[in-house]
Amino acid sequence: MIFEVFRQEQRKDYHVHVGNVHAPDREMARMYAQVMHARRKPAHSLWVVPKEEIAEVDSDDEGVSMGGLTQKEYRWATNYNTDETFAEEIEASQREQEEAERGREEAEAND
Amino acid sequence: MQDRYKHCYMDIEEVKQRAGPREFGPTDDMPEEYRKAATRMIQFHANSEIMGAYIERPFIRQAPSLDRKLAVSAQVQDEIGHGQLLYRAAENLGIKTREQMLDELANGEGKFLNCFHYPLDDWYELPMIMFFVDGAAMRRQATLKRTSWEPYAHAIDKICFEEGFHIKHGESILAELASGTRRDQERLQEAFDKWWPRILQFFGPTDDQSTHSDFSSAVGLKTMGNDALRTAFLNVYLPKAEKYGLEIPDTPAVTFNEDTQRYEVEEDDLDWDEFMQIARNQYPQGKGQIDKRHRTQEAVEWVRDAIENPGAGSAAAD
Repeated sequence: MIFEVFRQEQRKDYHVHVGNVHAPDREMARMYAQVMHARRKPAHSLWVVPKEEIAEVDSDDEGVSMGGLTQKEYRWATNYNTDETFAEEIEASQREQEEAERGREEAEAND
Repeated sequence: MQDRYKHCYMDIEEVKQRAGPREFGPTDDMPEEYRKAATRMIQFHANSEIMGAYIERPFIRQAPSLDRKLAVSAQVQDEIGHGQLLYRAAENLGIKTREQMLDELANGEGKFLNCFHYPLDDWYELPMIMFFVDGAAMRRQATLKRTSWEPYAHAIDKICFEEGFHIKHGESILAELASGTRRDQERLQEAFDKWWPRILQFFGPTDDQSTHSDFSSAVGLKTMGNDALRTAFLNVYLPKAEKYGLEIPDTPAVTFNEDTQRYEVEEDDLDWDEFMQIARNQYPQGKGQIDKRHRTQEAVEWVRDAIENPGAGSAAAD
C-alpha cells in the first residue's frame, strides 16, 4: 500500500506534503514515514494517509476550473492603487498576493 | 488522527498560562468554558461574513460597469467562502454543528456585526461597507492571526490573503465617486454622514462596557481590546476619509488626545439603544436581512435534501 506523508516542521506550522512510503499496513507506514521524512530533517509531526483515501482534483480534468485560465486582474489588490499608502494589514495582504503570484510565475517558468 | 488524542484535560488556569498565538488545536482537550467562548466568537464572525455578503450582493446587479460587476461578484463569493471556513473552525470545538449554526442564523438567534443589519440604499453607500466597514474588519482580523485557537488562525490566514483586494477595490469606488460631479460628492457625503456613527460602533462598546472581553483576552482568543482596535482603525481611516474630501460630522465628536495618542469618541453621542436593539436581532431592517437569509435557506432546502438523501426524492415522485 502507498501512504502519502505530510510533514510539520515545527509546532504551529502547516503540514506540507513531502512524499510517500510503500508499506504493508498503517503501523509500518508510520514507522517508514518517520525514518524517511523525519530523521535527517527533524519534524514535529507527520500525517500518514492511505493514498486511496486522498481525493484528487486535477486542473487538466474535464469541467475543472481552478483559476489562472481567464484574466482576473480585478481579483487582486495590486489592481487598485488609488492612494500611495494603505493600512499596514492591507499592505501585508497585498504582499502575500504578490508572493503567491511570483510563486505561480516561477512554477510556470519551470514547467 | 484518533490516536493523537493523547493530551490530558487542561483546566482553565493552565489554559490562561499557556495562552498564546495558535497554541491550542483539535488535539487538545480544552475546557468547556474555552470551547464555548471560542464558538461564540467564531460563529459571530462566520455569521457576519454571510450577512455581509447579503448586503453587497444587490450591487452585482447594480454595478455601473463590467469591471465593477466582476469585482463585486468576486467579493461576494469570497465572503461566503470565508463564512464556510469559519463554520469549519467553529465546528472543530465540538459545541455546535455547522447545521445548528446555519439554522440559528436563519431563525434570528445567530448574532452578527451591527453594520450588516442596515441594508444599503444605493451605490454611494457601497464604499461605506467595502472600504470603511471591511477596513475595520480587516484591522480586527489582522490581530486574530495570533488567536490561540489554531483552526481559527488558519481560516484567518486565508481571509487576510484575500481581503486586501476587497478594501482596495472599495477605496477605488470611493475615490471614483469623490472625484465625480458635485452631485456625486454630495451624495457620497450624505452616505458618509449616515454611516459614520455606525462605523464608530463597529468595534462594540468600550472595553469597560464589554461583556465577554476579559475572558477571551485571558485565554488568548482575542489579542487586542475594542478601544485599541478602534484607535488603530481611526489612525488610518479618518485621514483617508479627509483625503477623499469627506467632512467628518461634528457629532459624534471624535477628538485626538495628544497625551494618550488615542482618538476619543464621545460615547454619549452614539445611539447605544439602537446598537443593543441590533445586538438582540430586533432592529426592524436587520430583521428584514435575517428573513432574507431565512427564505434563501428554505428555498434551497430541497438541494440539501437531494444531496444528503440521494434517491429519496424519486420515491416520493412515483
